[in-house]
Amino acid sequence: MRHSFLVIDDSKLHHQMYRLIFSRGSLAGSTVYFATNGKEGYGLLAAHPELTLVLLDLNMPEMNGLEVLERRRAEALHPHIPIVLVTTEGSVEDEARGRAAGAWEYLRKPFQPADVELLVSRAVAQSATTA
Amino acid sequence: MSRDENPFGELLQDYVLECLPLAEQIADAFVELERQWRDGDPADDLLASLAGRLHTVKGNSAMMGLAPAQEVAHALEDACGLLRRSPERRTDASASLLVAGGELLADLVRNAAPDLDPVPAASFVERVRRWMEAEVSLLPGTLPERRRADRRTGSDAAGSGKVDSVVRVDFRRLDAMLEVLGEGLIQHSALAEAYRGLVRQTGGCDELERLDQAVLALEKTLKRLESTLMDTRLLPISTVFGRFPRMVRDTAEGAGKRVRLVHSGGETPLDKAVLDRLSEPLLHLVSNAIVHGIESPDARRASGKPEEGTLRLDAAPMAGRVVIRLGDDGRGLDELAIRKKAEGLGHEVRSEDAIPLRSLIFLPGLSTADTVSALAGRGVGLDVVAGAIHALGGTIDVATERGKGTTFTLSLPVTLAIVRSLIVEIDHERFAVPLAHVAETVRVEPETIREINHRGVTQWRGDLIHVADGGAMLGTAADRIEPRRFYVVMAAGGRRRGLLVDRLVGHQDVVVKGLDPTLGRPDVVSGTTILGDGRVACIVDAVRILEGGRRAG
Repeated sequence: MRHSFLVIDDSKLHHQMYRLIFSRGSLAGSTVYFATNGKEGYGLLAAHPELTLVLLDLNMPEMNGLEVLERRRAEALHPHIPIVLVTTEGSVEDEARGRAAGAWEYLRKPFQPADVELLVSRAVAQSATTA
Repeated sequence: MSRDENPFGELLQDYVLECLPLAEQIADAFVELERQWRDGDPADDLLASLAGRLHTVKGNSAMMGLAPAQEVAHALEDACGLLRRSPERRTDASASLLVAGGELLADLVRNAAPDLDPVPAASFVERVRRWMEAEVSLLPGTLPERRRADRRTGSDAAGSGKVDSVVRVDFRRLDAMLEVLGEGLIQHSALAEAYRGLVRQTGGCDELERLDQAVLALEKTLKRLESTLMDTRLLPISTVFGRFPRMVRDTAEGAGKRVRLVHSGGETPLDKAVLDRLSEPLLHLVSNAIVHGIESPDARRASGKPEEGTLRLDAAPMAGRVVIRLGDDGRGLDELAIRKKAEGLGHEVRSEDAIPLRSLIFLPGLSTADTVSALAGRGVGLDVVAGAIHALGGTIDVATERGKGTTFTLSLPVTLAIVRSLIVEIDHERFAVPLAHVAETVRVEPETIREINHRGVTQWRGDLIHVADGGAMLGTAADRIEPRRFYVVMAAGGRRRGLLVDRLVGHQDVVVKGLDPTLGRPDVVSGTTILGDGRVACIVDAVRILEGGRRAG
């Protein structure tokens, strides 16, 4: 099955990393949308209700990860799409705030491709049970 | 989950491109912190602004499995956290620790590789730990044990990592690859020329159509290979800028000046070969600006300026080249004194003369020690600097205002390996003139070139410019009677000059080869290249021709 993903991250390096992850193994052939800030990412989220999963970086200029989550909840935008908040070690409080703001899961750097694959399969399984 | 091998190893270059500017900013900020603390400014905002960048470098390094950079960033993050909580620890000693750490971090990122020596990072981390424990004895309640444990697991996780998909390559191999590519490009041109010959002879057919497609496709592939190869050679200019904050600090201290360095555009990419040869002349300009350009704090106060001088260093890509600006807010150049001095050296430089100041200050005669005071100290070695920049195919220019400051503007090619050129023919020989220095090509109309003092002169865009014969200039062997049909207007650093040629052949990217010393060419040739038809062509050193414009002609 073809999946589509949205990556919201201001780091070009991370875009490349996700590009690698989504071009390997069972995820090969996925469609990936990239945004470099929260504002742009929110627009893409609104435009793509078919997304399998969103990977949202916490620290970004122009609307950070938490702001994206809060606005999405306030506007009830595609609540069925799971959003993963990406953090760096030592941001436990932010992770808690992210969960409170509606993040489905969090992913802590440094992560491995397998971590992302696991999240994807969980998201797919979950959407199958709720669908 | 296996941590044996980093899955993102192939992104090492992307990592450096993204993190090096951040690490340089961090290193600069530490120098700035030291300065502000000395002035009694707690610099809370600056300290706070570092957290995000350190966090990013730490996270990215961890993702790449680069444990030393990750650990140093982590240690600096901890140290900054402590300093934010404890203003009383914002001392010179703490600042030195941060400055050393910032520099180490920038080094680790700059030289990022999976097999980097872990010792400097480990010993720095240990230094920070001891420095932080000095705090613990005063303030019970912090948790050095937990921190140490964190760090240990961190290093275990990444310390064993090896990134198989990254190979460090000797730069000479990249040069060799480029040379091979150059041959490929030449062979392609030969193929294309043979194709055109066939079309002329046969009038074309379906097979030839297919050949044409194949030749076009080959050209596209070669161009792609070329741009990939060029990208591999590019490094951010911050690899050079990164050395400046410390150097500025030390030089200023030695000269009894107070100087702040502000720089931007560090991410601008340049060929490593250009960077290597750029750092020395740039260092020279920076130290000149500090020693001679910026006044002493007393003098600055007396003229109503802030005691601290500002040095601005900016880089930006511009039309296929890189422009670097170095500006100071010092005393500026003393134009009168310079003109007088140049006159003393036998140059005709009446102030109403068209020769601009910017040409004068790069004259070799002005670099003697006794001109230092006359030139407000700025004559030192500028001819050497200009020579080095010109040798890179670059240009240097200066703008100055008495009492306000001086700005040097350098324009450099992104690479030395391939030069976009105009191919011209003189006495049946071909020459490549770098397009960067070509202002225009003009067809010679009868009577438009007059002779004044045995030198050809013509009107070009409202100015009188000298026009020299290409054959005489470049030493072609010919006794010709027929007049040349075109002249190429070359320009650099405010100088312009025409070069008479027989034929304009076209534009081409030429791959530069070194000059065969046995060739016995005049010094106005900077290298050779091989053209599509296999002929060797000399690359014209336009800058040198422009410089020599006053004596040869």
